Formats: sequence, C-alpha cells, structure tokens
Amino acid sequence: MNIKDTITVIGIVSIMSLFSNVLGTKAGIVDSIPGLLILGVIALLGMLASKYLPGGIPAAAYVVTLGCIITVPGFPGSDLINLYVKKVGFLALCTPILAYAGVAIGKDLDAFAKSGWRICLLAIVVFVGTYIASAIIAQAILKSLGQI
Amino acid sequence: MKNIKLHAIILALIIVAELIGTHTITIGIGRIVLLPMLFALLLGILTTPKFLNLSSQKEMVDASSLIGVTLMLLMARYGTLVGPTLPKILAASPALVLQEFGNLGTVLLGVPVAVYLGLKRETIGAAHSIAREPNVALIGEKFGLDSSEGRGVMGVYIAGTVFGTIFFGIMASVAASTLPIHPYALAMAAGVGSASMMSAALGSLVAMYPNMADQLAAFGAASNMLSGLDGLYMSVWIGLPMTEWLYKKFYKIKYGVLPEEPKKGEEA
Repeated sequence: MNIKDTITVIGIVSIMSLFSNVLGTKAGIVDSIPGLLILGVIALLGMLASKYLPGGIPAAAYVVTLGCIITVPGFPGSDLINLYVKKVGFLALCTPILAYAGVAIGKDLDAFAKSGWRICLLAIVVFVGTYIASAIIAQAILKSLGQI
Repeated sequence: MKNIKLHAIILALIIVAELIGTHTITIGIGRIVLLPMLFALLLGILTTPKFLNLSSQKEMVDASSLIGVTLMLLMARYGTLVGPTLPKILAASPALVLQEFGNLGTVLLGVPVAVYLGLKRETIGAAHSIAREPNVALIGEKFGLDSSEGRGVMGVYIAGTVFGTIFFGIMASVAASTLPIHPYALAMAAGVGSASMMSAALGSLVAMYPNMADQLAAFGAASNMLSGLDGLYMSVWIGLPMTEWLYKKFYKIKYGVLPEEPKKGEEA
C-alpha cells in the first residue's frame, strides 16, 4: 500500500470512527474531530516508520510507542493532546474494526465454524495460564522482597 | 479501497451496532458484556453471501485488506491511554515488572492444549498471548486477520470480550480461596491488559479482603497499565517466537511430522 492509499484508508476509518464515537460516547461531532485527527497522524507516522526504518519492528509497536510518548506528562503539548484524544472512546474505535472484520470473516466462515469451539475452550486455558503464572511469579518476588 | 459499497455497508453496520448499544447480563458475581463491537461483527457476518448476500466476494476481500490499517487508529488510542500513567508505572515495585513474564504462562499452557485440541496454525494466534487489542493488531499485521493465525487471535479476543469479565471474576475468587497465594500477588496478576477483566478480578478480591482494598486496587491498576506498555514488545520478541517453537515441538509429538511452513502473510 503506498502512502496516498494509506492516508485515504486512515481517512475513511477516521470518518467511520467519528460515527461510532458520536453515537457510542455521546461526544459531539466537533469535539471528536481533533482527537481523531491526532490519532490518524500517529497511526500514519507509525506505519511509515515501520515501512521505512530498519529493524522490521511492526507498525503496531511504533504506533503504540508514539502515542505513549506524546502523552507522557511533560512532553510539549501533552496536556492538550490528552484532552483531545480523551474525547475519543476506546471501545468506539473497536466498532468499525469489528464491522470490517465481520464482513471479512464471511469469507472463512466454514473454517471458523470448524475451529470455533476449540478456540473458545482454548481461551479459558489462555486466561488461566496468564493469571496463575503471573500470580505465582508475583508471589515469589513479593516474598523474596519481604513485602508480604 | 475505493469500494464505496463496502464502506456504505460498514457505515450502516456501525450505526446500527451503536444504536443497539451496550448490554450487560448479570449472572451471579459476574457479568456477560455485549458491546456494540460484537453486534457490528455479527451483523457484518450476516451481510455475507451465506446469509443476506449484501457483501459479495469483492467486499469480503477488500474488507480483509483494510483491517490492518483500521487497527492502527485503535493502537494510537491505546498508546495515548498508557502515556499519561507512565510516571506511575516507572515508579512501580520490581515485583510488578517481573510478574509481567507470567503472561508467558499463556504460551506454556496454551500451546500444548491447542495442539491437543487439534488446532493447527490457529494456535499461533490464539495461544501466544491473552489476545487483547495490541495482540490482535500484531497478528493482523504479521499474518492477516483472515489467516488461520488471525482466526485464532480473533476467537480468543471475542471470547475474552464477552466472557472475560465473568471469567476473571470467578477465577480470582477461586484462586484466592484455594491457592496459597497472597492477595497482593493475585491483584498484580489481574492486570492482564484489559481494564474490564482487571476490574472484575479485583472486585472479587476486594470483596474477600475489604481491609486491603486500596492496596489491591493500586497493584491491579499499575500492573494493568504495565501490561499495556510492555505486552506488545513481550509478544513480538518473546511470546510469538516461543509459541512458534513450542508449536513445532508439540506438533511433532502429536502428528509425528513437522507442521507445514506458514503461508506468507501479505507484506504490510
């Protein structure tokens, strides 16, 4: 995807997100626009960084890191950026993504139906694995530090 | 991408999904949460040829090529959620930082079970992490969400979104009443990178140990923010490679041969 196409797609998705944000979070249209613009620019810069910088680091990592850096307290303008992006609901941004995903999944519905119950079962194992392993490590370290 | 029909369908899906809104069903100590995103997903599936046939093959293919970019806007918001809390994270106890490696427990437990259940490359997506938003973005970027790996991560993501709250609420109370683990450690473990799952687990713990409420909440929230920050890097550099390696090992044990090489995802 070239830069022009990437910008177009980010623009389209931002407009979709504007709808879900206004309907989903009760934020006004005008209130939502600056935040979405900021997020769109962060996304674009991250994707370009992943494409043109060496190291093969995924765009998602660049985008998260960039978003994090510019909102750290003390970064120039961070308060203002934070004020604007706060108007954009996290869950509202998920709605357009899953709408596209739903249409895309139609293509592989048979595969999904075949593996669906297994994946649901696996989800339980995944949750238990993460939780218990984290708890055991935390227990060991807190104990060794004498904090419990 | 200049597929006007696709975008018109998506827009309609978004509007309907948001108008349906969020519904929660309370069951015992937990809640099942149905968010607009879930309705958007289900309605999206309904538009495809098997059902209403509004979206044809062209729309389905175009939609899957766009998901990668749509996720980036969410990742930008994710970063801006973590940023303002960064000073607090950096001041956290070393126990908080190290317990993050517990997220790799997912891989150790998840991969063998996945292979046992007969999952193939879905394993890589489903068992490499707890499948929250950054992991979905990562798998989407590396393999495409319409790949086997993508199906795996999406499946766990959706399951977590709908049932995660109730599951974490129950799991925390069961762990607290049966395992010899201190409530502080259980609170730290609750921060898996999802605010709703963390709150549910914390809710159970606070109900059992009300005199520790403040400390438990602080540990849970700090750990959750930390997961938001390092979860992605952990997956890129440790979780995913470890999952691939373990998948090969267990596949060999079960089927006697090495798995077929993954299909190369579309270059991002």
